[in-house]
Formats: sequence, structure tokens, C-alpha cells
Amino acid sequence: MLVGVKCVGKYKKNPCQGRASGNRSPTVLATLAVPLARVTYARRTHQHTVFVEGERKRIARGRRDFTMSGQRTKLNPQPIFSVWLLLVMFASGGCNRPSLSTGKLDVVWGRRGISDGRFRKPRAVALGKDDHLYIVDMTARIQVFESDGRFINGWKTPAFENGKPCGLSFDLDGNLLVADTHYYRMLVYTPDGELLSEKTIGGTQGHGPGEFGYVTDAVQDSYGNYYIAEYGEYDRIQKFTKDGQFLLEWGGHGSQAGHFLRPQNLAVDEHDHIWVADACNHRIQVFDAMGEEPRLVRMWGQQGREPGDMKYPYDLVLDGKGHVYVCEYGNHRVQKFTLDGHSLGCWGGPGRAEGELNNPWALVLDSRGRIYVLDSLNHRIQRIRM
Amino acid sequence: MLGFGFAFDSPWFLLLLVLLPLLWVFSFKSLSGLGPYRRLFSLGLRSAVLLLLILSLAETQYERKSDKLTVMYLLDQSLSIPINQREAMLKYVVEDARMHRKAGREDRAGMIAFGREAAIEVPPFDDELATTGRIESLLELRQDATDLSAAMRLALATFPEDSAKRVVIVTDGNENMGDAREMASVLAQRGVSIYVVPVTIHRQGEVAIEKVTIPSDVRKGQPFDVRIVANNIADPDSDNEGTVKCKLQLLRKSGQHVVPYEQAIELPPGKKVFKLPQEIDNPDFYTYEAILVPDRSEDDLLTQNNRAAAFTHIRGHGHVLFIEDWDNRGEFDVLVARLKKMNLEITVQGSDQLFSSLVELQRYDTVVLANVPRSSGADANTLTNFSDTQIDILVRNVQKMGSGLVMIGGSNSFGAGGWSNTELEKAMPVDFQIHNAKVVPVGALVLQMHASEMAQGNYWQKEIAEEALKALGPQDYCGVIHYGGTDGDTWLWNNPNGLLKISGNRKAMLARLNRMTPGDMPAFDPGMKLAAFGFAKVADAGVRHMIIISDGDPSPPNPSTISALRKQKAKVTTVAVGTHGAPGSTILQRIATQTGGKYYVVTNPRALPRIYQKEARRVARPLVKEKRVQPQIIYRHEMLRGIDTVPPPLTGFVLTTVKENPLVEVSIISPDPPTQKNATILASWTYGLGRTVAFTTDAGRRWANEWSEWDYDKFFSQMVNWSMRPVAEEGKFSVATDVKDGTVRVVVTALDKDNELLNFLSISGSAVDPEMESVDFLIEQTAAGRYVGEFDATKAGSYLLTLTAPNPDSEDGDTRPVTIRTGVNVPYSSEFRDRETNVALLNSLAKETPQGGQPGKYIAGSLTPEGVHELLTTDTFYHDLAKAVSSQDIWNWLVLLASCVFLGDVFVRRVAVHFYWVAPLIADVRDRLWHREQVPVVDQRLERLRSRKETIGAQIDERRASTRFEPAPDADVEGDLLAGEAASATQQSTRAGSSSGVSAEAEKTEETYTERLLKVKKRIQDDRKK
Repeated sequence: MLVGVKCVGKYKKNPCQGRASGNRSPTVLATLAVPLARVTYARRTHQHTVFVEGERKRIARGRRDFTMSGQRTKLNPQPIFSVWLLLVMFASGGCNRPSLSTGKLDVVWGRRGISDGRFRKPRAVALGKDDHLYIVDMTARIQVFESDGRFINGWKTPAFENGKPCGLSFDLDGNLLVADTHYYRMLVYTPDGELLSEKTIGGTQGHGPGEFGYVTDAVQDSYGNYYIAEYGEYDRIQKFTKDGQFLLEWGGHGSQAGHFLRPQNLAVDEHDHIWVADACNHRIQVFDAMGEEPRLVRMWGQQGREPGDMKYPYDLVLDGKGHVYVCEYGNHRVQKFTLDGHSLGCWGGPGRAEGELNNPWALVLDSRGRIYVLDSLNHRIQRIRM
Repeated sequence: MLGFGFAFDSPWFLLLLVLLPLLWVFSFKSLSGLGPYRRLFSLGLRSAVLLLLILSLAETQYERKSDKLTVMYLLDQSLSIPINQREAMLKYVVEDARMHRKAGREDRAGMIAFGREAAIEVPPFDDELATTGRIESLLELRQDATDLSAAMRLALATFPEDSAKRVVIVTDGNENMGDAREMASVLAQRGVSIYVVPVTIHRQGEVAIEKVTIPSDVRKGQPFDVRIVANNIADPDSDNEGTVKCKLQLLRKSGQHVVPYEQAIELPPGKKVFKLPQEIDNPDFYTYEAILVPDRSEDDLLTQNNRAAAFTHIRGHGHVLFIEDWDNRGEFDVLVARLKKMNLEITVQGSDQLFSSLVELQRYDTVVLANVPRSSGADANTLTNFSDTQIDILVRNVQKMGSGLVMIGGSNSFGAGGWSNTELEKAMPVDFQIHNAKVVPVGALVLQMHASEMAQGNYWQKEIAEEALKALGPQDYCGVIHYGGTDGDTWLWNNPNGLLKISGNRKAMLARLNRMTPGDMPAFDPGMKLAAFGFAKVADAGVRHMIIISDGDPSPPNPSTISALRKQKAKVTTVAVGTHGAPGSTILQRIATQTGGKYYVVTNPRALPRIYQKEARRVARPLVKEKRVQPQIIYRHEMLRGIDTVPPPLTGFVLTTVKENPLVEVSIISPDPPTQKNATILASWTYGLGRTVAFTTDAGRRWANEWSEWDYDKFFSQMVNWSMRPVAEEGKFSVATDVKDGTVRVVVTALDKDNELLNFLSISGSAVDPEMESVDFLIEQTAAGRYVGEFDATKAGSYLLTLTAPNPDSEDGDTRPVTIRTGVNVPYSSEFRDRETNVALLNSLAKETPQGGQPGKYIAGSLTPEGVHELLTTDTFYHDLAKAVSSQDIWNWLVLLASCVFLGDVFVRRVAVHFYWVAPLIADVRDRLWHREQVPVVDQRLERLRSRKETIGAQIDERRASTRFEPAPDADVEGDLLAGEAASATQQSTRAGSSSGVSAEAEKTEETYTERLLKVKKRIQDDRKK
């Protein structure tokens, strides 16, 4: 962890003298490579900028001490540090969150950065052939990894100034479907990153057939039909043929059954039912869309923090064995449900430590039953078993 | 060799190690009962405890050597470097870090941009340099000077301790602040290597204006010359004699009026003076600006040094700048017309055409702000405001230049105009806020923040929240909602009700805003619900307002939430920023429409503070008091001279609070509100060298309609006249100024009415620099009637000077000191004086040898977008430096270890450990393994005890047998008790002879004694029977 502190503002000409633990020279700015950073300033009135992991995090005026989270503390941090060490010792021998956890942390990989293999807020993931992971982040890069985090290759979407994609999945042919959110379209790539322009659906903002608002996800059923979800003014799902011809649409903005508030993610089960993570309604809805009129099959979930509740479910995945795993953006956890919404346990919790999550956006299940969670604001991937 | 080591922060504590031998000496005896092995073991543990405690006290540090290398790129962004080369720098450093950084070694790269100041663009991080394609630090950098040493100092402070350090300086080497050589030696001492990438500025022709001068004694109608000193630094050669053809322009500016002159000139190499004859017919403040325009652009590298200016002032009638709200033009036409009739020269300006420098205000003797809000306009593109700098100019114009300032009321003035907490409020005789909630209804403002994907989003969100907070009064409520990392949509103040009163909390709120990091909000609804809940909790709020800033992609709110807000009479203004390519956000527009708020689309974030100033004003509206009142004159001020009648009733005014200062004179008040300090209609005071007036009602358009029948003209003209700056008797003083080597020299010649030299005057001088900072300087008499003062002028631009001299014999009774105003122009920064790369300096920097490493490198090449690849051949991450040593406190671990060892010591001393059980266990295991018949288990310990007991018993018997004493047959066994005792005493006397003998005798005595006791007992029983 790198923490830096810089004296800024109108005092730049006469910057304050600082002392940082781990850095014995009395310097204005300290960059530390220790887990807990503390910087003490001579002048409380000065304004400072704190950098954490290379990112300008927050500005503090008159602050004396910093921890990694940027919180100010008036207490002498040396005893705190001692206590912290003891806690770490205890924690290292214990489990992550014994009260909630039914999962087991397997591997953590990835860190913040723009070079190959690093992430800046990863937001969507899909599982390809050989359990390869396709991950898109806020640099609009789609990066391909092996299951242990080894980088294979990567590419960027054709345009990303307006915004970055936030949904990925694979179609029946093994091509990657990309929800290019802020360009109102679904892109299709080969697994090697070649854009199949002729398969693109959408590209026009609007409410008509084939037009979109903010596209969140796209999936394909066993017949080859595409389902594309969008949110904004008209939260709906549109169904297209394999050739991209519009078939039908359903949904609408609202909280009634069959309506959506930000349908953030879609999944298709073995019956070709469409599972929808209805994020801002904090629920899951399941539709049978094979007929002329889509039919609501299941609907469960309510807002809350307790097991069984949900807060902003941003992604879901089905294991084919009667379980559904839901990634909760707002509760910073993964929750395992039966198909009718009975909670079987949770894993995670807010934080930066391993086994904790910070606004996770997505998850995916590999062939060996391992779950990969995109720990978005911690810029990493955590692999668990539940 | 090991790659690690130890160091001590307080090594003197190591002297306590002498206690170790003492410990051994004292403990050796006291632990003797433990046996030899346990004693040694315990002694070792005690020694370890003491040693660990001493090492903890000495603050032991663990030091680790590292192969890492950190490279900080220092990019010179000063204006002396052509823009294409400044852009090429960025390309070069990004490519260089990508190509040469050793990721496996965890090398780090960072970037610092510098000009007059230095700022961290990218902090050191073990990744490629993440940039947006432009230098973002330029927002906070001034580029008109070069301070290379500041950048080197900042780099030194930025380096992490656990890596070797190198700076790569990309510059032309033309520093004009600091001392880079000195700093380079500091860097070398600290082991920092210096690589230099020179920015080669191709030698090119250069022309500049060095100076413009005007005679100090310019008079109306009298011809004079404006002298312009131009310089051509071309080097003549055989092909080109170096003469440059130019156009010399001279602009005479007085307010908006500009008179141009132009003349074609030929400028030979070197300096040349041009004289342009001038004559001034009308009194005014004149600025003469000279501009040199070469015919061929290649004759001139830098255009920044082609301008210079000078000032002169010819005193005439009082001149008034009348600023009105451009959104309500013509509101004060009646007042302006009637003031003009009173022989006042008035220039009316809309608030969209504001002054930009202090010089522009010098032709006016007073400035009237007539119902002008701080910001006005309909949408983000047309919104205009008084910037902080413009407010500073207004205030300095009063405080330092002696001008007047009159604020005339209306619904957009004072606190209701968003002027609270500004410098302007400090200059006025009344505060714009009301501290008494009974006087004025309070407002409530909620800000919902969601601009995380906007460039510099966090910065701007803090800026606008601060602006809004400033505009609110102490009794108002404010709340900020953001999407927090762990709790979702939350109030920033951590207050369950959300909204907090500003009073007493403003500082804490600002501190919280500084720490705010709004996350990516999925939906508007939860935040807006919170706002509705918060508004409901502040029942005393008269105005409820909410401002949402967002990129428009959260999910829209529920209709029920909108209706809850409408029920609270809360209006929601929405600000769309960075709307993902769309021209706006229909969701945000709809929210504003549904609640009666305003909708803004912002493409330039600089417009945001203006929007927030304007919107926060909606909450400040309760400061307007609209009620018919009869004003009362409580003090006959000079402004009311000759007005004997009672002023007519008013229907409204803006509430203020009179400053608690004896200089404030309140002349007219309203009977309502009853708290007199909030009921000011007319107040005035002297602020610095000038005067300010607060008139809180309007000029007759809405509230003071009936005043037009009163002494309207007289009242307003006297108000404006009173505020004007005093008439300087300029005939007495002539002032000459000159700029040389960054110093302004002011020479004053003082004459009295009879042209006699004035001596022993106490003249003080004050200058306002181009950044509105005041510089006071001393003026001392150097000869008869001659006074000289100097001050440093390091910034380019106009310096306005005020000289204050005593005015003891004023004829009109004005006892204010005489103020003489003049100006001086520093034409350009020294940044534009040097026109070639300072190769010598850069070479000397690169030659510095860092401690423990090799000297730096001078990476020659062409720093252009096309030539970058040539520079990339040098590996800037080549590690030829001393390995870095990073240290870490381990004293706390040592304390923990000492406590564990201490427990071990206690254990060893208290618990005897033996290994008797080992042999049977082995035997048992062996028998089981080999299936031997189990020998009945005999408890060997019991067996040993038993045999030992038998042995000892036998020994005792043997001893008894050998020492038994047989009594003589004639011994007297019969006898009474006393006789027996006597016998016992006799036997005791024989103890000295033999101890064994004593034992035998005692046995015998006991037997006899018992028998005697039994006999006595029997006798007693027999007696009882009888």
C-alpha cells in the first residue's frame, strides 16, 4: 500500500514540515510503503492532498494524522498500531466473517493500474472457453485471464469517451457479447478480440424497437435469441432473433411486478427462462419469454441487510444445481439462494481486506464451481467457494 | 550481504546492556534452589527479557535493502517553452516509463509539473504513467515563471524511502526563481541521480517592448511624448543585418474608449526609443498600451513580451461607475438620469461586462452596486458572476485606492444577492447575515452529489458545496447527501436528521466536505427520499431547496418521492455534468420541472460555482423584508445635510446586521424588526482609505416609490458624493516611477501653493500588485522636497500605487489625508527574457554524482512529437545507484516478545519439568510394537518410596538397638509426680553427655510419666466412687 501526502493550497510557497512513520526525514510530502500511514504536520492550518495507491483520494485541511482510510485520529497511534497488530494476529488465525460467511476465500488477484493485468474499477466479467475470464473495467479494456489471474491478452472497445461497457456474456457460438452502455448497443467480439460489426445490435438512443437507453447486459437463449436489457427512462428488456430482428419487449420503469428499476444483469436457465437482477428494486425477477407475451415466473427479494434481503443486486449466476448466486453492490457481499429465493448464506462484507468487498459489480461461476467476484472499488478479483 | 539489518533510533538506551552481568550475578544465587539446568535456563530467559526491553527502548528499526528504483519526471510547463514542446514532454515521459520501467523490480514512476510552482501530476506508483493526455496540474499552476528548484525539492519529498531515486528533468533550464544548482547538490547528497532532457529552443529572432514612459507632469491640453523602448535581439550576420520591420501600435484607453495610433517602424538590432506625441483634452485616467507587431512571425519567438503599458491621470469632475444587474437592465434609469442632472458623470455598466483589473476602476471615484446579485443569468452558458478576484478588486479599490463603494438595495442585493461571506461583506458597514432566527425565517438546502465520472469530479463537487455553504446564513440548514462506500446514500454530516444548522457547524461542515468522496450512485430515489425526510424534520425552514448534480445515469426517482418533496414545498434544481455524450439528461430535466426547480446543463465545470452561488441564493431569500414601514432618521449624517423632512414610508428592504464598530454610522432605520441592529436602511463608514455606504432599500422601483416625491435628488447625490474619493491637490505633488531589475522606484517631488519645496512630510506608500495583494513600502526624504521609495515587483502586470500625505490645511474641511494615485507596469515576466536553452546549467545538473552512485546523464535529442523516439534510446531506469534501505519500527514486536519470554521465565521457575515418564512410555510402545507380554505395571515411584521407607526404618531400628540404655534394676520406679519430674530433670542434665543417651532416657521418662498419670487418674476415679 502506498500512501502519499502533499502540502497544497496557498501555503505551497511555504509548505509545512511533515514527519511520517517509516520515513525519518522531515519532509513536506511523505510516500510510505507501510500498511498503516501516519503523517504528522507542524501546521494544522495547511491544506493537504492524500494519495492512496497513486490515486488522489481526498483533501484534508488542518489534519494531523492519517490512516489509510484517511480518517483523522487524535489518539496516539502507537498503541493503536500495537492493538492493530494483535488484531491482525488474531484475525490471521480466524475466519473472515464467521457470522455471515458460508463461503471460503480461495484466491485474490489483481490490483489498481492501467498496465496489462491490472484494473481500474472492473465492472463486468464473463467466463469463456477453458474457464478463461473476460473482464472489462473503467479504461474500457476487455482483458482475458486464466483462472489463476495470468493475463493472456486484451483490447479496447471502439469508442469509450462517453462511457464504458458494463455487461459481458458469451453466446452459443462462443463469441463475447458486450453491453456498450453509453453507446446504446450490443457489440459482439470473437474470443480473440475481433469485432464482429455485422452482429452489432442497436446504436441509437431512443424508445423504439431496436433503440436503447443505457444498455446493461445482453444474453442469448438456447434458440439463439438475444435479450438486451436497458435502463434510464425506459427500463425494459428487448428480445431479438439470432439475426438481430426485433421480436418483442417487456418491462417498464417502476416497482410493480414485471417492471424494472435498472435491470442490471440477465441470466438464462436451462428452461430458457430469463433471470433479471432488478437492481434498484432490490429483487430478482424470472420470466418465460418464449411466448408472444413474456410471463413472470418468479419474483423474490426485498431491500435489507439481513441474510435473505438484498441491496442493489447487480449480478447473478445460476449453477444448474438449484442455486443462484447474487452479487450485491450495496451490501458488498455475495449471497447464495435457492431458486425460490431462500437464502443459503452470504460471503463478504464491506472493506478493503481480503475476504471483504467494496461495491462489487459482477460475479461468474467456473466449471469447477468456483465463484469469481469483481471487487470493483478494490480493483481486484476474489475467487471463492460457496 | 544479507539484504537486511537493524538500526536504533535511541541508541543511548543500549548502555543499559551493562545491567546484564549484574542480572547474572544477583540471579545466580537467588535461583540456586532450581538446580543447575533450570537455573541456567531461567537465567537465559531473564537475560532475553531484559535484552528485548532494552532493544525496545532503543527503538530498534528493521532495515531492508531494496533493488527498486523510482523515477520522477519533472516537466517544465512554463510559458517560455513553446506549446508543442510542452505537449511532446508528456508523450516522451509516458513512453519512456512504459518502455524502460522494470515491472519485475517494482520500479515506480511519477510526474511533477512545474512553472512558478511545482505540483504532483502523478504520484510515484509501480505502474505505467496514467495520464488523461494533458497536464491536469495546470489548474493550480502559474506558468509565468520557472522555479526548477521547487520541483526538485518536491520530488525529493515525494520519493518513497524504499527505493533508489532519480529525477529526469525536462526543461530549457531558464530558471528565474530559486537555485537549481544548490538543490542539485542537496539531491546528490541524498543519493538522488539527475538525468536531464534539454528542451532545445531553436535560435530565432525576438523583438520586445522594454518600457513605456509618460512624463509625470502631464497637464490638460499640453502636448507631451509617450516614449517606447523597443528591443531587437537578432544577431546580424553576412546574409541578414537583423533589422525587423514592425508595426508599433499605441492604444490610449480611458474606460471603454480606445484611441489607437499605429506607425510602421524598422527596428535594427539593439534597443531603440520611439517617441509618439500625445495631447489630452479631457480629464480622466488614461492607460497607454504599446504593442509591437512584427511583419514576419519568424522574427518573433515570444509574443508575451510585445506589450507594455503606462498610466496617467488628469483630475476632473467626480466620475461614478454604476453597475446594474444585466438581467434587469434599466431598473435604475430614473436614478441615473437624476444624478446626471446633479452634475455627476456616470457610466452605467451591466454586470455581464465587468471590470477585469484594478486599473480599469481608477477613472472612477466611486462604484455603485445597484441591486446586483453576485451571480445572475438564465442558464449555465449565460450565467455570469463576480469572481473572487473581481470582488477583491472592488474591495482593494476602496481600501487601498481610496475609492467609494455604495450598495443600493433590492431583492438581489446584500445577503439576498448571495454576497454573504465574501470580501465585499467585510468592506461594508453592515454584515449581510442575520444571527437572530426570530427576525428572519430560515432556509434549508440539501445538496445531492453524484459526479464521480466527471473529470476532476471530486474537486468540483467540493468546490460547489463550499460555495453553497458560504452563501447560507448562520440560521439556515444545510445537508449533503452522497453515495458512501459502505452505507449507500447517506448524509455527510452523520446527523440522523440530515440537515444541520450552519451556525457553529460551518467549520466542521467544510472539514467534512474536504473528506467527501461520493461514490457511483445507482438511483436517485433513496437520496431524494432522505432529502424529503430531512426537510420534514426542519419545520421552521421557510424555504426548502435541493440541488442535484449528476451525470444523469442513476435510475430515476419514484413519483411518490417527487410528490413528497412537492408536499414539503421543496424545489429541486438539477445540474447535468458529463452526461455520457448526450446533450443533457431528460431524467434530471424532468425532476427539475416536476418540482419547480431549475435545470442546468454544464459543459464547462468552471460554470458550476456560479450555479451554486445563484441557487443557494434561493435559500437566502428570506432576508428580504417586504412590509410597509415608516423609516426614522436617527443620525444627521453629512449625506442628509439640508434634508429636514421625514423620509416617506417604504414597502421593503433587505435585512442586515450592523457591524459592531464605532466607525459605523447608522443614519436611517426601520421600526420593524424591533431589533435595531437588523433594521438598517442607511449606514456608512470609512474602510481603509475609502468610504462605503449601505442603502438597504431600492431607489424607487418597488419599495421606495414614495421617495421620488421627497428630496430624492439631493439625498442620492449627497450619498454618492460623500462616498467619492477626496480630491487630491495634485499640483503640490509630482510622482515619477521607474522599473529596473524587478524593483519599482518611486520619486515624489512636493511643492506647496507657492511652489516652495515641502520638507519633513510623512508620506506612506502602498501598492496593489497584479494579483490584488498589497505591498506597503517606505518613502523617505532624500533631498529638499524629494522623497524616494522602492519595492520589489516580481510579477508581470500593473502595479497601482497610492501615496498618502498629510493634509493639514484643507480648505473644505476634509481632514482625510491627500492620496496620490499612480501606476507602473512591469511589461513581462523574466520568463520571457531568456530565449535560449541554458545548456551550462543543465550540464552542471547532470554532472552531479549522487552518493553511492554514478553521475547523471544529459540526454540530448529533439523534444518534438516526432523526435521523441531518439530520446527513448537512453534507459532512464538503469540502476547504477546505491541500493535503498527502508526501515520499519519493530520495537512493538520486541515488547510483545519480551512479555512472552517473561511468561516462559515464570514457568521455568514455578514448574519442575522431569522426564521420568519417557522411559516407561518407550517401553510400553516397544512392547506393544513387538507384541511382548505385558509385564504387570508396577508403579516404580511407589516401589521406590516403599523400599526407601524400609531402608530408613531398618537404619533407625539399627540405630536404636545400638544406643538403647537399659535401666538399673534398683532404680526407683515408684514415687510421686514431683519425684518423677525431678528424675526427669536429672536425666535432662545428662544430655550434654550423649544425644543418643538423651533419646533413651526421654523414652524411659515418658513411660514412667504415663504410668504415673494413669495411676493418678485411677486414684481420682476411686475417690469419686467413694
